[in-house]
Amino acid sequence: MKFRLEWLGQYLPGDLPDLATLRRRLTDVGFIVEGTEGEGKDAVLEVELTANRPDGMNHRGLAREAACALGRPFRDVPVPAPAEGAAAVSSLATVTIAAPELCSRYSARVVEGIRVREASARVQVRLRALGMNPISAPVDATNHVLWDLGQPLHAFDLETLAKGPDGLPAIVVRLARAGETLVTLDGVERTLTPEDLVIADAERPVALAGVMGGLETAITPSTTRVLLESAHFNATAVRKTARRHGMHTDASHRFERGTDPETTVEALDRVTELLLADCGGTVARGVIDALGTPRPRQTVTLRHARLVSFLGMEVPLPRCAEILSSLAFGVREAAPGVLEVSVPTWRVDVEQECDLIEEVIRVVGYSSLPETLPHAYNPTWSEPTLAREERARDLFAAAGFAEACTYSFVSAEENSPFASCVDGTPPVVSNALGEPFTTMRSTPVVGLLRAARHNVRRGLGDLALFEVGRSYALVEGRPVESRRAAILLRGRRGVHWAAEARPADFYDGSGAVAALFAGFGAPAPAFRPAALPFLAPGRSAEVVADGKVAGWVGVLAGPLGATWDLGEAVVADVELAAIPVPSPPSSVEMPSRFPGSGVDLTVTHPIALSWDTLVAAVRTGAPAELLSVEAKYLWRGAGVPEGHVKTTLTVAFGSAERSLERDEINRWRDEAARRLLAVPGAAVDGIS
Amino acid sequence: MSSTRPEAGGAAPVSVEEARGLLDAELAAAAGRGGLLPGDVHELKVRWLGKKQGVVTTLLARLKEVPKEEKAAFGAGVNALKQEVEARLDVLEAEASARAAALAEAAKAVDVTLPPRVPPVGRLHPLTVVRRRIEHVFRGLGYEVADGPEIETDWYNFESLNFAPDHPARDSVDTFFIEGGGTGRDALLLRTHTSPVQMRTMEGRRPPIRVLCPGRVYRKDDIDPRHSPVFHQMEGLVVDEGITFAHLRGTLSAFAKSFFGGRAEVRLAPTFFPFVEPGVDCAVSCVFCETGCRICSYSGWIEIMGAGMVHPNVLANAGIDPERYTGFAFGMGIDRIAMLLHGIPALRLLFENDVRFLDRTWS
Repeated sequence: MKFRLEWLGQYLPGDLPDLATLRRRLTDVGFIVEGTEGEGKDAVLEVELTANRPDGMNHRGLAREAACALGRPFRDVPVPAPAEGAAAVSSLATVTIAAPELCSRYSARVVEGIRVREASARVQVRLRALGMNPISAPVDATNHVLWDLGQPLHAFDLETLAKGPDGLPAIVVRLARAGETLVTLDGVERTLTPEDLVIADAERPVALAGVMGGLETAITPSTTRVLLESAHFNATAVRKTARRHGMHTDASHRFERGTDPETTVEALDRVTELLLADCGGTVARGVIDALGTPRPRQTVTLRHARLVSFLGMEVPLPRCAEILSSLAFGVREAAPGVLEVSVPTWRVDVEQECDLIEEVIRVVGYSSLPETLPHAYNPTWSEPTLAREERARDLFAAAGFAEACTYSFVSAEENSPFASCVDGTPPVVSNALGEPFTTMRSTPVVGLLRAARHNVRRGLGDLALFEVGRSYALVEGRPVESRRAAILLRGRRGVHWAAEARPADFYDGSGAVAALFAGFGAPAPAFRPAALPFLAPGRSAEVVADGKVAGWVGVLAGPLGATWDLGEAVVADVELAAIPVPSPPSSVEMPSRFPGSGVDLTVTHPIALSWDTLVAAVRTGAPAELLSVEAKYLWRGAGVPEGHVKTTLTVAFGSAERSLERDEINRWRDEAARRLLAVPGAAVDGIS
Repeated sequence: MSSTRPEAGGAAPVSVEEARGLLDAELAAAAGRGGLLPGDVHELKVRWLGKKQGVVTTLLARLKEVPKEEKAAFGAGVNALKQEVEARLDVLEAEASARAAALAEAAKAVDVTLPPRVPPVGRLHPLTVVRRRIEHVFRGLGYEVADGPEIETDWYNFESLNFAPDHPARDSVDTFFIEGGGTGRDALLLRTHTSPVQMRTMEGRRPPIRVLCPGRVYRKDDIDPRHSPVFHQMEGLVVDEGITFAHLRGTLSAFAKSFFGGRAEVRLAPTFFPFVEPGVDCAVSCVFCETGCRICSYSGWIEIMGAGMVHPNVLANAGIDPERYTGFAFGMGIDRIAMLLHGIPALRLLFENDVRFLDRTWS
């Protein structure tokens, strides 16, 4: 908001304050001066005002703050009541407040016999300085008072207001009736609802209360009789109406934040004075001052001891009283060390003791606060889910993946193939920025696909990305967020001049998932063939831990790979909470000092016979000395029947207590071989 | 390497002196050719020390032809010669094996300037790195880290935090709403700050409370170099008996010095957030310049966070007695601090995941 230095100076007796000092001090007390233009009395300050200080959104209010901040006196400019004519205002118009909760006060004057002219040079200069174009003296007068005292005003052409049963033009403050319409000053016809507070005449709405006047009753160059409105409307009512109609005006901006009900008549007198000076005319005798339900006056107690303990520093009680007084608070020492503080009617932000403490310390200055630390404190608790996320990040980074950070919302189309990743439905943003930001993702993989495409399009095709983040769902209307670890692998693996690189494949994905489990010390997960719509058939698996599905891994389905310009990509998504993380060991056994021994078994079997089946055959009935079963080599092709594969297993035996005998190892190997041979379709080299 | 055998037809030496002269000549010739390998030395050994036709053996065989009175001297001379030959050939043998080992190593030599076989090097995202740095500072001050949902209710995101319904303070935070949520305080929305985690923490635990709430937040901002509808915040909350405004200043100062360097100063300025009173904007003295730079807009100060004393209404909403307990809260944008620290020119870089960006080393 813009403020003119000369205008502020009207309320600061003596020389105009130094611009740089004023700028610094206003900022210190919470009115951030973002910039200044010009010099001397023509200087204009650009001030950022917080939503809780509508009282500072006018020159008198800001000057009051400036006076306090600069330690200078503040001088209000008295407004003499205008010289009134003979006709009583009560014989020219009536005002009725039919919604007293929403309008605590409606003050009005009538001026007759005006001739609409231009505003005076002084008013025009001031409005121009604030970036407004002068329109006509009546309109400019209302704007001038708004920027002077913060009271929004409106001027009706009295001739256009429909008369009531008493034959007088009537003003009625009421809620609109369903279906009523109003063409506002901006020329837009607005259909009103019973929640809209309006100013009506005897027949129809003539203004949206506190927001904008109506076109039909506005001042025109031919207007001669004017009804001036100066009212106090309920902040919430004005805000709701303004929002419902998508409007935001200087008036609504102030009413929404709260205006001073005590200023209505003062503002009326000031606008009348300006109007008479520029347009002539006669003021009707008296003011119509209709009252609704008044806002209670605020009195707040300030305990000096509380102030000191709250701030952690001493501010002498007299200094507190002095600061509050200079901001026009009424201060009375009700008991030793206790101030009864009455709050000025314009200070809608002050309701509690802490508000008064802020008043004191912001003027004293935050730079005078000591820098102390709270006493030492031992943390007693930590969030286990976060620790798990952090561990997963470190594990993937250590495994050579780059951490990505992608948006939580994606487009509906991007998400839909993955919707089955979550129970329930994907949450949809009702007021999204548009696509691709409408749908809360069902898996972080959707974001990784976008990240991968970005890189592939830039020629960066060898990718290993991960994201530890959330997936989102609505289940019976309740949000469910699941913490996931997701990866994407694409392009070549092991790129080096000494050997040919190979493309990332399913086992890179399942390997990364296995590494994640291993990093947590969890038992290796099982990979169970699964048909998932977003993965390539035959190269997709569910990750199973503790008998439950903990995630999935596989090659991205061909059509999706094409849609995303990725070709083949390997993706996986694991729910972190589903990883069965064991408790850390409380004791550790000594590793065996006896070297174990491995023997190889080569099995020829149909391709459809899974590795898991072979392992199960070896393990079933094996001695406790069996340590591991590893896949050593797989061969398809020459020497192996069509549809078959030759698999060499390395079976390791070992004992913590003794060296194993070659004979017993051979016996165990032969037993394992016979169990393999019993698997339908399997043949074991050297055994028949 | 040519053969070390003497030319065919050379007569066998008949005296120790002659043999020694021949030995000198042969070893000098071998040294002259250079580069003896173990095989060559072996051949010399066979020629000189061989049990059947070695020069020394052959010479010794002449003993029977030597007059009786010279036999002793001749035998001693041949023995001395034998020892000398053994010693000299042992030296040559050691040299030859060292040479052979060196040659074998040389054959395995590589061009060490060829590109190495680098194992995949992963990276943490700069937002993770910066978040952890911030957490590290506050963990040192005794803070715990808390967490909460991103899809929140109006109550937790606004109303419990003293944002009255239809209060203009809500204008400053354009909010995304979720379809199918309830209405009023049950309306579902994407949290606009991590403050709901503060409220949930206060509900779940009694003071003393000292928590950090990092996380993802959402505001309806169009994407530009400084705005993103998704970004990350780190909030902190301390509630206890006797917590003061001076503690807030001291804490922010301690953080600034620890995070930005010991010379960093903080400056607090009054501002308004509904959930704190007084509310402050916290700026840190610019650590990038002495006299003003683009980063601090030539002001010497960089705004890094908002903060304030927890509003008594907020404490009361959490069931905490505001007369007995006081507290402070602060919040900063992790993205903004990452951009500041690393001179990241546009926010979108943090979300685009260009691997050339991700492969940088942060902090």
